Amino acid sequence: MIVCVAVVGHQNNPLYIQSFTEADDALKLHHIVHCSLDVVDERVNNPKKSGPMLNETFLGMLYPIENYKVYGYLTNTKVKFILVTTDLDVKDADVRNFFRRFHSAYVDAVSNPFHVPGKKITSRTFAERVSTIVKSFGFSSAA
Amino acid sequence: MVREVSESCVDSLMTEMVACYCNRFYANKPELAARRIEAIGYQVGQQLSERYTMERPRFGDHLEAIKFICKDFWSEVFKKQIDNLKTNHRGTFVLQDNKFPWLARMSVDPSADNVSSVEDYSAPTAESKAAQAMSMHLYFPCGIIRGALSNLGIPCAVSADISSLPACSFVVRIKA
Repeated sequence: MIVCVAVVGHQNNPLYIQSFTEADDALKLHHIVHCSLDVVDERVNNPKKSGPMLNETFLGMLYPIENYKVYGYLTNTKVKFILVTTDLDVKDADVRNFFRRFHSAYVDAVSNPFHVPGKKITSRTFAERVSTIVKSFGFSSAA
Repeated sequence: MVREVSESCVDSLMTEMVACYCNRFYANKPELAARRIEAIGYQVGQQLSERYTMERPRFGDHLEAIKFICKDFWSEVFKKQIDNLKTNHRGTFVLQDNKFPWLARMSVDPSADNVSSVEDYSAPTAESKAAQAMSMHLYFPCGIIRGALSNLGIPCAVSADISSLPACSFVVRIKA
């Protein structure tokens, strides 16, 4: 199950962050997302470690923490997508697919002429689309 | 579903936007009109670059990003590629388009030419007016290039030159 997704701008400014849990642990998840930004920087600035996936947008699993796994994705425009999941055996292909759909939702949201670049995404349509994608991720990995 | 945009509508919108900003909103301040038009292009460029770079790996250096603008980006926007790319390898790139679609239907007003040939003193004004009107139409594409590149993490300044009518070149200077 995906518990948190986040969009972080090129200056590490939060653009969108949403958790999907019943429990009141939003702060903890935000903290995990925050920590993952350093890992993204490290991956990007030390390309030796990332080896064959040099310059790919999908960064793979960033790090495991407690019961969570954190995945990252960095677009050409230096916007980071972070995904926190509780599933322990996640297929890379599923995560890639998730990020691809998430990216197109993001692109549609920022193409809105009323969206101010660099500001938080407040679009309700975007939020709905994200929660649909998040729900379908749970299904595809269960199936 | 592939969504398409009518080319003639975009052409008309472009002409109308330039006319509106030059003759109505900022009638006597061409510099302000130019800046506004460039700013609109900037936002469009940012959004387009976000969309067109979706399924590709990140760019390693500036040249790769410029090549992307010349090839993929230009063919998405104008259905053709940039015809010639020159660089001094020190941060200046010249992108030449031999038949820029947004200038393809433009011509110097012949009646203005006739008038100017009769009255000698107005000759330079008619020509410079035409040149100014054309350069106004190039602020928008300049803004698009600047918006796309700066969204890719390359801050730069873009200017345009008109050599002979449907051809024009964009000069990109990357800020160190």
